[in-house]
Amino acid sequence: MPAAANRQLAVRLAVGRALGRTRDLDDVYSAALDTLAECLDISRASVLLFDPDGVMRFKAWRNLSSEYRAAVQGHSPWTPESVDAEPLLVPDVTREPSLDAYLPVIARENIAAMAFIPLVSLGRVIGKFMLYYAAPHLFDDEEVQLVGIIAAAIAFAVERGRAQESRPRSDATPGYEPNASAIGPWEWAASSDALAERSDGLPSGTLRQVRQCDIETDRDCLKIVDLDGRLLYVNPAGVAQLDAEDSRALLGRRWVDFWDDKDQEVVEAAMARARTGAIARFQRPARTFAGAMKWWDVAVMPIVDSAGDVVQFKAVSRDVSAQWRAEVFQAGQHQVLEMIATGAPLAEVLTLLAHVIEDQCERLVCQSLLLDVDGTHVRVGAAPSLPEEFARRFDGQAVGPRIGSCGTVMQTGRSVIVTDIGSDPQWTVLRDAAASIGRRACWSNPILSSKKKVLGSFTMFCDTSRGPTCEELRLIETAADLAGAAVDHHRSQEALRQSEERNHAILRAIPDLMFVFSDEGVYLDFHAKDPSDLFVPPEGFLGKKMRDVMPPPLAGIFSQAFERALASNEPERLEYSLDLPHERRFFEACIVRCDSDKLLSIVRDISDRKYAELDAAAQRQELAHLNRVLILAEQSGALAHELSQPLAAILANAQAARHMLDRDPLDLVELRETLDDVIKSDKRAGMVIHRLRELLKKSSAVLQPLDLNEVTREVLELTHSDLLLRRMPITTELSLGIPLVLGDRVQLQQVILNLLINACDAMSTVDPSERELRLTTVADDECVQIAVSDRGVGIPDGALDSVFDPFVTHRAEGLGLGLAISRSIVVAHHGRIQAENNADRGATFRCFLPLATGTADGVPSATRL
Amino acid sequence: MADADPLNLAVVDDDEAVRTALGRLLRAMGHEVRAFASAEEYEARGAEADCLIVDLRLPGLNGFELRERLRLRGSRIPIVFITGDGGPSPSDATAHVGTPTVAKPFSDGDLIAAIALAVSSGANLY
Repeated sequence: MPAAANRQLAVRLAVGRALGRTRDLDDVYSAALDTLAECLDISRASVLLFDPDGVMRFKAWRNLSSEYRAAVQGHSPWTPESVDAEPLLVPDVTREPSLDAYLPVIARENIAAMAFIPLVSLGRVIGKFMLYYAAPHLFDDEEVQLVGIIAAAIAFAVERGRAQESRPRSDATPGYEPNASAIGPWEWAASSDALAERSDGLPSGTLRQVRQCDIETDRDCLKIVDLDGRLLYVNPAGVAQLDAEDSRALLGRRWVDFWDDKDQEVVEAAMARARTGAIARFQRPARTFAGAMKWWDVAVMPIVDSAGDVVQFKAVSRDVSAQWRAEVFQAGQHQVLEMIATGAPLAEVLTLLAHVIEDQCERLVCQSLLLDVDGTHVRVGAAPSLPEEFARRFDGQAVGPRIGSCGTVMQTGRSVIVTDIGSDPQWTVLRDAAASIGRRACWSNPILSSKKKVLGSFTMFCDTSRGPTCEELRLIETAADLAGAAVDHHRSQEALRQSEERNHAILRAIPDLMFVFSDEGVYLDFHAKDPSDLFVPPEGFLGKKMRDVMPPPLAGIFSQAFERALASNEPERLEYSLDLPHERRFFEACIVRCDSDKLLSIVRDISDRKYAELDAAAQRQELAHLNRVLILAEQSGALAHELSQPLAAILANAQAARHMLDRDPLDLVELRETLDDVIKSDKRAGMVIHRLRELLKKSSAVLQPLDLNEVTREVLELTHSDLLLRRMPITTELSLGIPLVLGDRVQLQQVILNLLINACDAMSTVDPSERELRLTTVADDECVQIAVSDRGVGIPDGALDSVFDPFVTHRAEGLGLGLAISRSIVVAHHGRIQAENNADRGATFRCFLPLATGTADGVPSATRL
Repeated sequence: MADADPLNLAVVDDDEAVRTALGRLLRAMGHEVRAFASAEEYEARGAEADCLIVDLRLPGLNGFELRERLRLRGSRIPIVFITGDGGPSPSDATAHVGTPTVAKPFSDGDLIAAIALAVSSGANLY
């Protein structure tokens, strides 16, 4: 464990134990200041609390002059109403304006830096914890964190004390209340032979008075102590509670020697106070003769003689171990929970937990094992009091009955009590290891998640072969619960951290720009992998309204998309372009609602794709044009025929008219008819030329609503003579009143032309009497279908898929581009084209084009393909 | 010339405008004209004529095929082909030989010259 973590654990244990050790707030402050000095080497500090009038007053201090305390008392960065108070760190007092008024007194106290740590209880500031430094001081995070732990402990103790005070008496824990009859003033004449043995074991001189207050039957440990502090008498209950064989082992010994070195001062102080005639109280732990740690609530009372002089002390000690353990445990639990809440590393939390539990029951050591995320292997969570070598035996083992009872617990999810490791089959493998460290029994509980999934086991090892007491069982359960909470929290934090890390990785990886907007369209945040991708620097848009940043038409489009995204909760996509000084860039934005009232806009620069698309469109147009030229070249004969027919008619009519003019009388009616025919034929020739020009024109496609039947008829007019010449009898079935499609007239004509040529080519080797060319149009709710069916050779097996590929041809002439170009045209129209062989003979090509009514605004508009 | 020597002519052309105009022109020049929209119609209803003017490109039987059938039946009727373009490629490279052909659009002079040539050559031609 790193040094910082060790220090943190030490502080937590120290304050936890101090809190458990005493309920006296002065003792708590004192313990806090001790911990500060021990763990952080800070010797000057103070604790202040708001008094009921809201004035900050000193409660405890170290190394501060009374002058200083008087001068600064009442100063506080916070009021009792302050919430969310943060520590105020002053690395250099001369640079903190709020301290200006106090600078002279601070200087006289030789203070150069200080820290104000708020004591916060239930979200309110109740006081402050002050640290003072003689030189300017830079605070590091660890220091602030450790001081924070101590401050939290003080606040906890203060709150606990206040809760205790406000608790109704009847609810109070059965603490020690001195027996009224046992409290002086005492009338007593000290006997000179106070130590003289009597048959009943009581010092003779004390007997009379003592009997009066039934001290022998008192259930507390009652002692008579002389003014030198030596025991004169211990009642039977006391002898038993101290685990002594009889009172002889005790009498004549110094009472202070029964206490820990560090507590002896307190005992001496109590006797000194009793010597003045007052009753002194203190609470301290001490071990019995059997070595058991017990907690004592002690009252020391003076015994006076008839002259009123204090001649002896009566000390009444009540064993309050149970309450104290509960207090210590409560404080320990508090520390553990706080560590969990503040996201301390799991190993440290589990280590503290082990210490807290071990503090509760002597001669027991704790071990927590964790189940790997894979659910099959074991990891040591914490076993601070077990030899490392022993703990390591568990690490990495597969779950099962071979790794002691803990393995069984994790496998079954039930608690297991092993009263004798030596004979238990679950301990076959690790029996000797356990024996070598003097562990004879072990009791394990599963560590469960809040969803009752097994996360690990919490085990207590006992050095005797026995089962747990009820108290110990309760402790294991509580410990397992706490460990469960710790692991749960740790895993969820870990999951959160990983998810955040993933998010960061995603953010680092993707080139898109991201913007977070409020529902009012204000820029709140952004992400740009490369800040130069932003056309406006962050300060130019953050906190501003979209309308004030984007060009007005674009802002309008965006705010509409925002409204839709907020209303529907579905992603909204939009494409737009921006004209930059040297080029036009294209973008695609995807807008989604997030955090219920915000919008996330992910913007991608699609210029490269867009330009590629435009290039592809241009290439497709080039190819399509080439295809049209080729078709016309191939059909030049038919086209010449189409033109020469009307021209022949015109010439013949004109010459006929000239002949008619030579006649007498002039037949004006016939002449007019002839001229009318000239006009008609001329128009017909004009039409042909117009169509040709349209087909040969190299223009970008323009989508407009079209009647496919009309487009089909135009193609048939142009190809009519060619089909005749080629002996291709054609049947057309054009469904009446089919809906319009959005398309480019010339391109769709080209598709039909290509399909007709393809069908004719397929039938060129078929006997004319068996040929049949069928052209049909039908529509459904979604699209119009145009189908060209032939009775030709059909498409070879396996070629159905490749028939639309470029340069795939089964004919002698042509480049094999017709069908490929047809498909690219249809796809560009958001339609599809397919080929199939007919059941009996030949093939059918179908192309499906979406209806024009499918457009978003219902009014088809001309759009460039 | 034609005015002085009226002929009995048959015209086969599927294009109504051409058929009408041709009939009108030849009639204006003083000839008798009967017009047919297809080779089959001519065969069905066609009577003897001094000359048959037939479009090469026709639905059904084309000009060449009509001539073939007439000759096989022993008819010696003089024939003039009219064509809007190269027309159907005859299977025989000599198909045009012996039959005067005029390309549309043609003048009245060209047409009459072709008719005259066909009539004067008569059965000596193919």
